[in-house]
Amino acid sequence: MKYFEYIEPKDLKEACQFLNEYPEAKILAGGASLIVLLKNNLIRPSHLVNIKTIPGLNNIQWDGREGLKIGALNRHRDILFSPLINKYCPILSQAASKISSPPIRNMGTIGGNLCHGEPSADFPPALIALGAKLKLISTKGKRIVPIDEFFVDFYETILFRDEILIELIIPNLPPRTVGTYIKLDKTHNSIAIVGVAALIGIDEKGICTYIGVGLGGVAPTPIKIKRAEEILLGKKVEDSLLEQIAREAQAIVNPITNIYASDRYRKEMSYILTKRALKESFNNALKI
Amino acid sequence: MRRYDIQLNINDELFSLSIFPQRTLLEVLREDLGLIGTKEGCSEGECGVCTVLVDGLPVRSCLLLALDVRGRKVTTIEGLSKNGEIHPIQKAFIDEGAIQCGFCTPGMILSAKAIIDNNLSPPENEIRIGISGNLCRCTGYVKIIKAIKTAAERIRRGL
Repeated sequence: MKYFEYIEPKDLKEACQFLNEYPEAKILAGGASLIVLLKNNLIRPSHLVNIKTIPGLNNIQWDGREGLKIGALNRHRDILFSPLINKYCPILSQAASKISSPPIRNMGTIGGNLCHGEPSADFPPALIALGAKLKLISTKGKRIVPIDEFFVDFYETILFRDEILIELIIPNLPPRTVGTYIKLDKTHNSIAIVGVAALIGIDEKGICTYIGVGLGGVAPTPIKIKRAEEILLGKKVEDSLLEQIAREAQAIVNPITNIYASDRYRKEMSYILTKRALKESFNNALKI
Repeated sequence: MRRYDIQLNINDELFSLSIFPQRTLLEVLREDLGLIGTKEGCSEGECGVCTVLVDGLPVRSCLLLALDVRGRKVTTIEGLSKNGEIHPIQKAFIDEGAIQCGFCTPGMILSAKAIIDNNLSPPENEIRIGISGNLCRCTGYVKIIKAIKTAAERIRRGL
């Protein structure tokens, strides 16, 4: 790796100031993605700003009004084992369980996973289905960005170079809302060929009160099935409507062919797994 | 370019070092401290031969900056034996024939320690997940899993 200056800021303000002052600085969180980039000389930062030294960025708190607030420095293992996440949005814990292996889950953070911008990452589809919002901070102030606007292109996010992702906000879901994350991979927990997260909420009459569908590995960025709400929200959930959403997924994905799978296969599996995830979520919601 | 003066806690021993910031923990362990039990394989966190424990949790030493483990407790395979006696997990691996070339073994044993520290009676599913980050090209994992079950049982029985 090329030499860099190493900085441990004592608080967020200092971290933002360092990032503002050094245009070639990068943030170090878990390092699971960043160190790999450094070793391959894909990035050559002048400074590494280790934000793990900043207290208060790895909390998980439920706010009755705003929802579940997840600090960006929570590691994948923290998400996996968190009682609050398993209570309010277990689909996120499901996604965490599909990431790589225990040592990577012990190091990598949910914030780092998002900011790395990998199209096939496991958290983004689940967060898209959950309608998550992201809190970003810099010397210029704070902003809140909806998750489906965060990803711009292949490994590129909406972050300004001096901005830090500090928190994820999961809005409260209606009761009887259940989610499923399905990951198609070549070997256990390897990189996703297709990842689908589907969240369905129903009332006592079986009318859809919530629908959120996100896919990964099928486009330059993780994507949201925007038409899902138009198709299902407020209507009685039935197979033909789930079929419509799954066919919409197949229509809008834009996958590549690579060594793991062809674009045709990914398109086909987008349909199959979206249908499967929707059905599973719906059947589980019926049981509540 | 400047070196950073740091103190590392490796196997309950404190080492004072003056290192460049881009040095990984794996490099420092092997090249500066002569602790060559931890191996380098893929260098990108996928194979598991570089696995060490930091504060009891398995991590990838090839992806950790040495600077980043200051103030934390690092355990390498060398740290498992005490007073010249090998650890029950090491003994179980030997007794069950779970070692062939031995290259995956240090990382595998440290992952095993984390599994057993978490649950003294780990079901097979937990063992499989626990070692899912340690690739072995020789054994097919069967005897490794058996060794971990044996080790857990022996530790439970205070042997």
